[in-house]
Amino acid sequence: MKIAFTSTGKTWDSIMDSRFGRTEFIVVYNEETKELEVVDNSAVKNEAHGAGTATAQKMYEIKPNVLITGNGPGETAATALKNLNMKIYVDAHNLTLEQAYESYRNGALTEI
Amino acid sequence: MKEIVVLSGKGGTGKTSITASLAVLAGSEAVVADCDVDAANMHLLMQPDFALSSEFYSGELAIIDQNACTQCGVCSEKCRFGAIPFINNIFIVNPLSCEGCGYCQKVCPTEAISMKSRKSGYVYISNTKVNSTMVHARLDIGAENSGKLVAKVKNEAKELAKQQNKSFVIVDGSPGIGCPVVSSLSGANYVVLVTEPTVSGLHDLERIYSVIKRFRINAGCIINKFDINPKKTDEIIEFLRKENITHLSNIPFDIRFTKAMTEAKTIVELETLPKYLIKDAWFKIKDELTNN
Repeated sequence: MKIAFTSTGKTWDSIMDSRFGRTEFIVVYNEETKELEVVDNSAVKNEAHGAGTATAQKMYEIKPNVLITGNGPGETAATALKNLNMKIYVDAHNLTLEQAYESYRNGALTEI
Repeated sequence: MKEIVVLSGKGGTGKTSITASLAVLAGSEAVVADCDVDAANMHLLMQPDFALSSEFYSGELAIIDQNACTQCGVCSEKCRFGAIPFINNIFIVNPLSCEGCGYCQKVCPTEAISMKSRKSGYVYISNTKVNSTMVHARLDIGAENSGKLVAKVKNEAKELAKQQNKSFVIVDGSPGIGCPVVSSLSGANYVVLVTEPTVSGLHDLERIYSVIKRFRINAGCIINKFDINPKKTDEIIEFLRKENITHLSNIPFDIRFTKAMTEAKTIVELETLPKYLIKDAWFKIKDELTNN
């Protein structure tokens, strides 16, 4: 399973980014290889408009099985993500990636 | 540190008057962010000192290198914004019309056109009259607000609130439900909705709430000028009940809102009924934030 996090930093200790569209980084954890991959999202963050759909586009490139985030994608981004076979878990605010992953494993996060 | 965003959907409901009132009541407990940058006016009530300013860049602008231009006119023909007129025997980009899409750069056969980032205004960090920090912005002529600018103003405010160990960030959001509003909502802990009992007031309240609901953020509502249309007020209260939105206050129409404004004051600086109603609403908001 590939798990993607919207994150303000690049490690397990980084704090989650509540934003989907303008998230600083997308950190991807591969449960099979136990490796973290970091995708820099600063180019999208600097777009004046359309950040949500641009990040959704990135999700199609990464193709994670699960996305863990804060507020969750807005309406347009959510529509764009519909055809991607990916579960979305939300409300992982102010947690480290490690804590967010734990919460997800324990079923403490809401799926939308 | 809790982040409170004030939104209305419809313009003219008294959103900024109420935001500034909350900011005055919170005083040095809060950092204030004016994210209603298209029509920024909270500075009129908060009297910031514009202590620090920095340039803000957003979007792009086409530039034609006249030495490389063969005057074929393809760019001018293809530009759907009519932004490249032929003036004094040269093709030149009109910065007010250029949308920064970059199509001219793609069609130019001699690669004479390049895109450069466009300065669109200034971001300020100020001290206000109530001894709080305020982050606000001013757009250049023809520039527009964006999710990017809102994110910048809000992040600066949050960073300062953390540094100064403040309890709140109070954000004046922009009207509508577009990109800047979505950007002002991300990461917020509470939304204060300011509405008025009119057809469009309720319609836009329902519309903005559908966005807030998607992000699962708790909300409370202030019905401003509630007495100008009692029937619509009842309909709004019914909507709030149905959606589980806290009804924070009913504020009567009061001409002294305007009187206060002409003196560059908020209504809570005058001895009025609205002062006590808004004070009460502020206590309720703080209660809701500590209970969640």
